[in-house]
Amino acid sequence: MNPITPIINGLSITLKHLFMKPVTLQYPDERPKVAARFRGLHALNVSHNKAKCVACYLCPTVCPAKCITVEAGEDDNHDKFAAKYEIDMLRCIFCGYCVEACPVDAIRMTGEFELANYHRKDFIYNKERLLEKK
Amino acid sequence: MVNLTIDDKQVTAPKTATIYEAAKLNGVNIPILCHDKKLKPFGACRMCLVEVEQMKGRQIPACTTPVTEGMIIRTSTPDIIKARKMVLELLLLNHPLDCPVCDKAGDCDLQNLTYEYKVDSNRFADEKFHHQIDYNNPLIERDMNRCVLCGKCARICDEIVGFGALTFINRGIETKIGCEFEEGLNCEFCGSCISVCPVGSLLARPFKFKARFWSLTKQKSVCGYCGTGCNLTLGVKDNKVLTTLYDENQGFHNGQLCVRGRFGYQFINSDQRLTSPLIRTNGRLMECTWEEALTAVASRLTGGNSVAALATPRLTNEELFLFKKMMLDNVGSSNFDHSAGYAHAALTEGFSRSLGASASPATILDVQKTDLLLVVKTDSYETHPVIGFEINMGVKNKGIKLNIISDKRGKLSKLPGANTLVHSPGSEVAVLNAIAKSILDQKLTDGSASSIPGYAELEKALAAFTPEAVAASSGISADSIKKIAKDYASAEKALILFPVGQSYPGHNQEMASAVANLVILTGKIGKEGCGVLCMSEKSNSQGAVDMGFYAQNGGMNSLQILDACKNGTVKTLFIVGENPVVSYPNGANVKAALDAVDFLVVTELFMTDTAAMADVVLPACSFAEKEGTFTSTDRRVQYVKPAIRKDVKCKTDFEILSALITKLGGQAPSSPASVFAEIAANTSGYAGMSYINLQNNGAFAPVNVTPKLVASKAAPAVSAESGKLAMVTGSTLYHSGTLSQFGEGPMHVCPEAYVEMSRNDAARYKITEKDLVTVSSSTGSIKLKAKVTPRMPEGVVYIPYHFSETPVNAIWNGSAVTVVSIAK
Ligand code: SF4
Ligand code: SF4
Ligand code: SF4
Ligand code: SF4
Ligand code: SF4
Ligand code: FES
Repeated sequence: MNPITPIINGLSITLKHLFMKPVTLQYPDERPKVAARFRGLHALNVSHNKAKCVACYLCPTVCPAKCITVEAGEDDNHDKFAAKYEIDMLRCIFCGYCVEACPVDAIRMTGEFELANYHRKDFIYNKERLLEKK
Repeated sequence: MVNLTIDDKQVTAPKTATIYEAAKLNGVNIPILCHDKKLKPFGACRMCLVEVEQMKGRQIPACTTPVTEGMIIRTSTPDIIKARKMVLELLLLNHPLDCPVCDKAGDCDLQNLTYEYKVDSNRFADEKFHHQIDYNNPLIERDMNRCVLCGKCARICDEIVGFGALTFINRGIETKIGCEFEEGLNCEFCGSCISVCPVGSLLARPFKFKARFWSLTKQKSVCGYCGTGCNLTLGVKDNKVLTTLYDENQGFHNGQLCVRGRFGYQFINSDQRLTSPLIRTNGRLMECTWEEALTAVASRLTGGNSVAALATPRLTNEELFLFKKMMLDNVGSSNFDHSAGYAHAALTEGFSRSLGASASPATILDVQKTDLLLVVKTDSYETHPVIGFEINMGVKNKGIKLNIISDKRGKLSKLPGANTLVHSPGSEVAVLNAIAKSILDQKLTDGSASSIPGYAELEKALAAFTPEAVAASSGISADSIKKIAKDYASAEKALILFPVGQSYPGHNQEMASAVANLVILTGKIGKEGCGVLCMSEKSNSQGAVDMGFYAQNGGMNSLQILDACKNGTVKTLFIVGENPVVSYPNGANVKAALDAVDFLVVTELFMTDTAAMADVVLPACSFAEKEGTFTSTDRRVQYVKPAIRKDVKCKTDFEILSALITKLGGQAPSSPASVFAEIAANTSGYAGMSYINLQNNGAFAPVNVTPKLVASKAAPAVSAESGKLAMVTGSTLYHSGTLSQFGEGPMHVCPEAYVEMSRNDAARYKITEKDLVTVSSSTGSIKLKAKVTPRMPEGVVYIPYHFSETPVNAIWNGSAVTVVSIAK
């Protein structure tokens, strides 16, 4: 074979790609489009200005990574609420079982994936941080 | 035995069994909702429907139908499953589906059955209930919206507890469970109703929302309060005891507990627990290291008999044994005792001389097997409530005749047919002697009685106790004394019960011998359902006696030790877990003694009034953090194991004693197991017991009786001066010793001492319920709230002894009856 042909072939591929739509996402300048079913950071759903979570302990029970800590409290109406709700994101495997287990639709997983941080303690998400932002 | 067929299997069952029991016996599981093995069959829920061929395939409840010969039963045909599903659908119609917030979830019969029968939809529709929920009660939350009307709560409260606080109210769809006049619950708070409720209608409030059932580790243990020795299951999570759980197969009592056992566990994880050794420097108790504390203590444990020790009978057998050994071998002192001395005298002196053994020959199991019970003091129910349940059941279900001699009426006197003879305070021994005399007079003695040593002397000594003479001093008619004597002697099986404890100084060796005389004279010993049970006060009171941890061979007893502290003969006092400042008689004297002693060491869980006076305080561990054995009042030796890890800064008494023995140059044992081996080899009745076997099942230490008739001296009757009242002290239902003050449950219901008096006395002094009254005796005075009840006889007041705030020992010097005056 003519020794030039492969070079031409190669260059033509390069040339073709120069005019194609690029696959690379210029993160962080460009933002990815996150799928609806993506399992990112958890959010605690809110209804009537209160977290919907009733501290039933089903999510900590089902969680395979054992990274959820719930402590129930009794509010003024004698109802149960999560006095403490914490997820250790360093241990979470983003399996979504917690969402599936919740009997009152109190927890979901958002598209939020930028979870990097500097300190271990910053990976512990408490109830305040997990409450959905509207 | 009858033969029957269950699900095509040929089986046999006892004639008295129901279909449910027969099936269970043969490994066939029939679902139940309203049935409990401890309760009478009721048949309210229809969950247990089965088909019986002989009944033309009709569906009948298995829990109420007795088996008959040749029955052919089917337990799970498609029709039955359909019927059970329907039952569940109808229950779920009104039942709120709030499992996510219901503490019962995970342990709920309705939830489990719904899951098992896959009831995931409902063909019917109806409104849910809108009953008011009782959130106010500190111990029991009642949410009748969840109720399935199985009636178990009302039945257990009536059949076993004998209180009857709960009942069905209204009819038809309006039916619910409630209290009289729809008022709040004001009962014994034994929690039995909670334990049997199949759903989350009745819940333990102290445990509310604390944890899920499935996340609890279930740790079997033995109750650390009284001598009944009930078995417990502690619910543990994150190294904390969060609740007690019900296990219907535990112990002779089938999981039944009293308020202390069920709701008094909070002291284990209390944040008031001591966590560091303390040493007195410049007059103040300061934290120090264990090494410093133990060195200081060891350096003072020298000087032989100038060292004395008091221990609580809530220590394990191993600890008491080790403590005694340390005192004898390493310290060289025989001055050690427990429970103020007199609280164990009934066993160590009374039974020793009369029965030749320092233990009761009968067991708790005999209560249900007897024909006649003679109970000394209605307080027996309050001191040992779970034995009280046994009495309730025996009297109600088996028709056992109940005779009580007491200085006040009480719950036991309300049992059907109970014959309560109320005598003047302090005359119980005289009454017992009069019964013995009457037995002799009526020639009702057992044939062998006259050949028993001491018969002639007793006969002579009893001459002074004719029923007529005692009637005059005790206020009980001679005829009733004679009748009790006749009934007791002629019953085929009869059992005598009496409580002992620090608040019952009159229940001493004299009472023990008087009781033993009755038993021996009538030959009611050594047979099933016969004999006598001396109900010892604390979880290991009997063990402390068995281990010999009391004054012997010239050693001083508790009260002598305190006197010796005062006069300087005792220089070092080592107190382990006792709180004499509050619980021993004559508080001022105890304080003076502890002040006077050169060096006071206290091993405690809490900063009690006694610990506050110490030179060194060592933080110890509760029963839930240590290993060892307890001996119950009827000599059941039971193993306790650590339910939680102890605080790293605390040591068990076993470790403390071992460390001290090493410091004193002795050889410390390697483990409680090795000490138990020594105990088994050296203690009568314990021979052959193995530590390993005890871990699975408790064992009875047999009691060998050599009867001897001993005349017992009756205390002279207290003559009531005009304008004065006779005060008796005692143990109240909600408390045991002074420890229960640190259990939140008991303190919710009974937070302070009170003075209980009759309506007539109250009227005379113009006192009404809850009035603050001053009670004064020759030794001092205290202010207490008044409690006016119909059970007290006129002229007698009762004050419980457990409380540090208002200790009865400010006015009580240890006599069985104290003359007091009362002013508003
Ligand atoms: S996503 Fe999975 S691992 Fe993460 S918290 Fe939920 S259950 Fe646990
Ligand atoms: S499962 Fe839902 S309601 Fe239950 S604790 Fe988790 S988030 Fe809360
Ligand atoms: S706590 Fe005991 S006494 Fe009170 S209602 Fe329940 S069973 Fe009856
Ligand atoms: S409260 Fe509980 S135990 Fe009582 S009837 Fe209702 S479901 Fe049964
Ligand atoms: S205090 Fe006594 S009667 Fe009550 S649960 Fe404990 S051992 Fe049983
Ligand atoms: S268990 Fe038989 S009717 Fe309820």
